[in-house]
Amino acid sequence: MKVSDAIKSRMTVRQFLDKPVPEATIREILEIAKRAPSGGNLQPWTVHVLTGEPLNALVRDVEEKQNSGMTEEPEYNVYPPELIEPYRTRRRVVGQALYDLIGVPRSDTPGKLKQLARNYRFFDAPVGLFFVLHRQMEIGQYADVGMFMQNIMLLAREYGLDTCPQEAWARWPQTLKAHLSLGDDEILFCGMALGYKDEAAVINELVSEREAFENFVTLHGF
Amino acid sequence: MNVEEAIRSRRSIRAFTDQQVPREKIEKVLEISQRAPSGTNTQPWHTYVCTGEVKDAISRDVLELVEKNAARKYEEYEYYPTEWKDIHRDRRRGVGWSLYGLLGIEKGDRERTARQSKRNFTFFDAPVGLFFTVDSYLMRGSWFDAGLYMQTVMLAARGEGLHTCPQAAWITFQEPIFRHLGIPDDQVLVSGMAMGYEDTSAIENTLVSEREDVANVTHYIGFD
Repeated sequence: MKVSDAIKSRMTVRQFLDKPVPEATIREILEIAKRAPSGGNLQPWTVHVLTGEPLNALVRDVEEKQNSGMTEEPEYNVYPPELIEPYRTRRRVVGQALYDLIGVPRSDTPGKLKQLARNYRFFDAPVGLFFVLHRQMEIGQYADVGMFMQNIMLLAREYGLDTCPQEAWARWPQTLKAHLSLGDDEILFCGMALGYKDEAAVINELVSEREAFENFVTLHGF
Repeated sequence: MNVEEAIRSRRSIRAFTDQQVPREKIEKVLEISQRAPSGTNTQPWHTYVCTGEVKDAISRDVLELVEKNAARKYEEYEYYPTEWKDIHRDRRRGVGWSLYGLLGIEKGDRERTARQSKRNFTFFDAPVGLFFTVDSYLMRGSWFDAGLYMQTVMLAARGEGLHTCPQAAWITFQEPIFRHLGIPDDQVLVSGMAMGYEDTSAIENTLVSEREDVANVTHYIGFD
């Protein structure tokens, strides 16, 4: 697949088929993806790949905790508590587009939460990935992890797979620490669902908007 | 070019030819890259692209600061860990030594080491320089998004026959960059990047930095 086609066809998939991904494929993807650059070649990432019973056990655990009203204290803010414009609008627009698509009315908070909770089932994907950093890492290394993860998402397209990067998992740090046997010096950053897209699912029709070129690029000297 | 080829052929290019990059090509790369994902679609990055006189002025002013040893760290956060674990220190040194070894620069030769390091600030002679910022009130999630976006730019560039070098080296010299490009002071520099055509005769471009064995960084759980 042409790299430009991979970029254009990569989207956040929120419904996957019940079709396993061969372990050899995942190994190949990670082997190639590790060529991602990182400042000082630190390669500040480690990856946990879950499938089968350990994945189901995690899903069950989070589901039970949610049902009993439990929450955990996130270890960090993904976003500032008060997003300013234009980011607040961008966030609202994509959320609204998603709920409109699946017919959840604006006022239906439980319906929205139910959809949000599907994150914690990896949207039925057979494989879940988690990206972990050492705690001493600073803000620059989070950009490095982004470069690495985008490699994985684009390679997935080349193998006929799709992904959903999930910051939502940051809400369950203690649960994930236990399930992944993370050390005290490690911090969980992001999850990712990996699998085959359910082409029939309405929710996968969402193509989120992007800013026009002139709104994010400034040309100097051209 | 497919994705695997783009990823495998992307590497930090440290010598570019003087061949110009048509503006349409840059626009095409950035237009495609805007499809990069970001948390709740916030698209937190700002991209500044410079060439010609503005770019030269930035190089001139930054090099002046380098001469004066006037690097300035961020006030609000650290870019790199303040204390290194062995594994990360080793990786960091490893890539430096490989580069200097390739160039025949001996350990302890500070003058030649500094001269090579300064080549960052002329974008390794690339005709195009890019700077990526995010609003400074944003947090690690948005830096992560900027990373997703920058890698998309680097791979899309490969698809257009271009090469890049992402450069954290610029971050301690923000002032002239912001001044020349009119970047608002409520933004923070995530990275610079050189873009152009590889000088295939330059020895430094033969450097392929090492990567950890994937088995050392990946835990498979629940697989047969």
